[in-house]
Amino acid sequence: MANVSTVFREIGAVVQAMGVTLRALLAGPLTVQYPEQPIAVYPRFRARHELRRYENGLERCIGCMLCEAACPTGAIHVEAAENDPAHPVSPGERYAKVYEVNLMRCVFCGDCETACPVEAIVLGHDFELAVYDRDGFLLTKEQLLNPKVPNVVVRAE
Amino acid sequence: MPDQVTLTIDDVKVTVPAGTLVVDAAKAAGIDIPVFCSHPKLDPLGACRMCLVEFVGSRGSRLDTACTVRVAEGMAVRTNTEQVKAVREANLGFILINHPLDCPICDKGGECPLQDQTMAYGPGVSQFVEPKRHKNKRYPISDLILLDQERCILCWRCIRYLEEWEDKPQLGLFERGGETMIDTFPGQPVDAKTSGSIIDICPVGALTNRVARFRYRPWELKKTPSVCNHCPVGCNLRLDERVHALRRIVARENMAVNDEWICDKGRFVHQFVDHPERLKKPLVRDAQRGTLREATWDEALDRVVEKLGALVEANGPNTVGGIASPRVSNEAAYLFQKFFRALVGTNNVDFAGGSAVRAWPTGLSAITDIARSDLIVLVGFDPSEAAPLLAVHIKRVVLRKGAKLLIIHPRRIELAKYPGAYLPVLPGNEAALLGELAAAVQASKGVRGQEARGKQAARNPQSPGPGPQYPDVVALLAAAKSPLFIYGPDVARGERGRATVAALLNLATALGQGDKLAYIGAGANEQGVRDMGLLPDTLPGYAPVSDAAVRERLGKLWGLQPPAEAGQTCARMIGGGVKGLFVMGDNLAALPAVAEALRKLDFLVVQDLFLTETAQLADVVLPACSFAEADGTYTNLERRVQRGPQGIRAVGESKADWAILTALAEKWLAAEGRGDRSGVAPAAAPELPDWKRKKRKAKTGPAAKPWNYPTAQSVLEEIGKAVPFYATMRWEALGEGGLQWSARDLRVGVRDSGLSNTQSPTSNPRPGEFLLVSSPLFWDASLFMQYAADQVRQLIPAPFVALNPADLATAKLAEGSQMTLTSPHGSVILTLKADASVQPGTVWIPATLPGLPAETLGGGRGEPISVVVR
Repeated sequence: MANVSTVFREIGAVVQAMGVTLRALLAGPLTVQYPEQPIAVYPRFRARHELRRYENGLERCIGCMLCEAACPTGAIHVEAAENDPAHPVSPGERYAKVYEVNLMRCVFCGDCETACPVEAIVLGHDFELAVYDRDGFLLTKEQLLNPKVPNVVVRAE
Repeated sequence: MPDQVTLTIDDVKVTVPAGTLVVDAAKAAGIDIPVFCSHPKLDPLGACRMCLVEFVGSRGSRLDTACTVRVAEGMAVRTNTEQVKAVREANLGFILINHPLDCPICDKGGECPLQDQTMAYGPGVSQFVEPKRHKNKRYPISDLILLDQERCILCWRCIRYLEEWEDKPQLGLFERGGETMIDTFPGQPVDAKTSGSIIDICPVGALTNRVARFRYRPWELKKTPSVCNHCPVGCNLRLDERVHALRRIVARENMAVNDEWICDKGRFVHQFVDHPERLKKPLVRDAQRGTLREATWDEALDRVVEKLGALVEANGPNTVGGIASPRVSNEAAYLFQKFFRALVGTNNVDFAGGSAVRAWPTGLSAITDIARSDLIVLVGFDPSEAAPLLAVHIKRVVLRKGAKLLIIHPRRIELAKYPGAYLPVLPGNEAALLGELAAAVQASKGVRGQEARGKQAARNPQSPGPGPQYPDVVALLAAAKSPLFIYGPDVARGERGRATVAALLNLATALGQGDKLAYIGAGANEQGVRDMGLLPDTLPGYAPVSDAAVRERLGKLWGLQPPAEAGQTCARMIGGGVKGLFVMGDNLAALPAVAEALRKLDFLVVQDLFLTETAQLADVVLPACSFAEADGTYTNLERRVQRGPQGIRAVGESKADWAILTALAEKWLAAEGRGDRSGVAPAAAPELPDWKRKKRKAKTGPAAKPWNYPTAQSVLEEIGKAVPFYATMRWEALGEGGLQWSARDLRVGVRDSGLSNTQSPTSNPRPGEFLLVSSPLFWDASLFMQYAADQVRQLIPAPFVALNPADLATAKLAEGSQMTLTSPHGSVILTLKADASVQPGTVWIPATLPGLPAETLGGGRGEPISVVVR
């Protein structure tokens, strides 16, 4: 009676498949009305870079250029300078005078985050990166310090 | 003791000279022993304990420092045992107890021996959880160097360098135990002229370069081996570039030239290379408004060709001339004189301090000869201020080998504290003094004894020079087996300079050391510029312009022969001898009197880095490249031709000197009839194709050959044909160490060596009058200093005049007061300083101070100038 058991098994499979279809029918639409509605991203999602500050307002970045060294595509350019002890930009002696990220080169690998000894550079959740001219892809330090949604992610690991 | 010793290191048999340190023997065997305090150029100390290795003997093994133990026959050393490894780990742990882990912001990070050795030999994990000890960070030990006492691992390298090489113990260890730290002595910052070398040898980031601080990370630098462009020593450097900017300069080892040290000018004064005020486009004087405006290269060069050409056609070629700087490369100097000699048709080429100075053409026999000499005679030359690396070499031979110094200088220079003799001499009296010394040496050789000395002492009693040291000086000279005679431009200018050099040559010849006479110029490439014949009376390779054979040879090479009559000197050209002038790289008009003279010119072209006072007067300004942006060769004071390759991209539209001259010559040749001095100017169209032009040449007589130099190397190739002793100086052959041309290749015509016009000795000045001494100062206000980084610029002294304290007391003058100094040439107001190194009866105003006070008073002309101080 091998044939009978095969028939039942096949019927079972069809029912199971139809179940998935029926559940999807009942679940309602998944479409997000994107520009109007925000898209939730996973916590570890990597998009546009941000430079973080300490709570007292000092920049975290010390201009060590390790992110630049770690960057596989040469997207980061840093020029460091010496802090004026009376008006420090960052704690310690050194800060980044110039910090630029070229988004056309960036592959969002996150190596800069990993390399950063002070958790200054992080990849945030802002993925809306379209601009009207190429110069817009060059993020300046000013832009990096002022992300649309400030300080969203600090990755635990 | 045998000369060679054989020992075993890790089962490898090594044979090294006796006296070698075990650490060096291991290096010879290819075995790496980690070190911090040990340095091949410094005496062994054994401070850091990093090099502990096992010495296996008959009574078992013991640990000892490989950097202090010298090899012995049959010695057995083990560097890789478990015990050695454990000791290394523990030692690194101890060093790192208080070493801050701020590697990310440390300039040494990436080229740090402590990082590297911790990675290679370190424990990997730290046992220490206690907080680290805090000391001074960002602690200035001079205007140029910062000390981070936390990072210091107390290896003493900086202390030892300053003591052993500079003989200036300005750093020391203070406190005890864990509180021990390096510090300066109170109120005495480090001021050694080569202090920057301690940054290079620091094994951690404790000493950092304030000018280059935080401007680079070592791994991202493009490193170009080059040579220094500040003084004629030609120290070997490395240019470190990042994103088209020169980030820092460090020393490069060349044992024949600078060992591995460079002076602070070479290290810290480099901002002129990428200064924002650099000229980026050619400028031409607007015909309507009379101001300079930006122009294209074509427009500027056309203007030069048109205006210079018009002057040549109207008044003859001898009404235009060229003055270059002794800093420019050999290629630029060669093409500059070729432009005037072959194309314009005049010998009016010179450089500032060129034909006025009686320079000995072969320079120093070799810098390494300093280390082999037992007596160094310095006449009117102060190495500490003019060429600090020579001073380092001289101090070394004095301290280590007991050489003596005989110093003949109007000022008691820094080196006068060393054994030997110092003969103060009034400016202008050098020839008389040297003549007497030569006669005394001759006499002591012939008639030894009291007689000769008595005769000498009796002569010229009012001369202030000799004094009681005189017999000692003769004995010193007579006893010298391998002396060196070095003189500088200050005593070789003008007629008096001729007499001084002749007297000096007589003295050297009297001692049988005629080939040990050396002239050391002021410009970085003065030797090379002279070799290239950038002098009104000398062709490339030191042939006089009257030498028909050489003119013919050059005529074959250039297409046209240079004229036979000597041209005008720099002073004559400025003084109204020419109507059109081409100034390459020299700021002549910094002196107001010269500026006044240049204003009278019909046409002035200036090729420079900046809009200098001279460039502001120019009708056309051509933006040139600095030494770091263009390929070029430079010849140092020991005739070593060295490569200075391009290290960074040229700023703006600026071009290399040789490239500008080539472009100019091409335009000159293309202009109608210009390539031709045969008499009949043919009306040829400028766009004649090559083959046609050749045909025309064949018909109408000699014409200049086209200037076909795609690269600086091709210019060097032609130099090899024009200057016989440069024949082997190919770019590839020069390598990174350079090549010396042999002085024997140059038959020096000792035309007027023996005779000297007797000069009336300078008499002691009248009361209230002083003789002007204008010897150079290290931190002066030269053009490169003016465009240096802020930290360096603040080292430029305010203009001052220094007098002997005794003179100050007699004249009842107060230090610090403003005094008016008047000479027949001009008058300046300066701050008064007391300085015991200045001899009574003289005032010392260093050359090239801000506002050029010494030059305004007439200094640097070779004539004694008496100055009234009011």
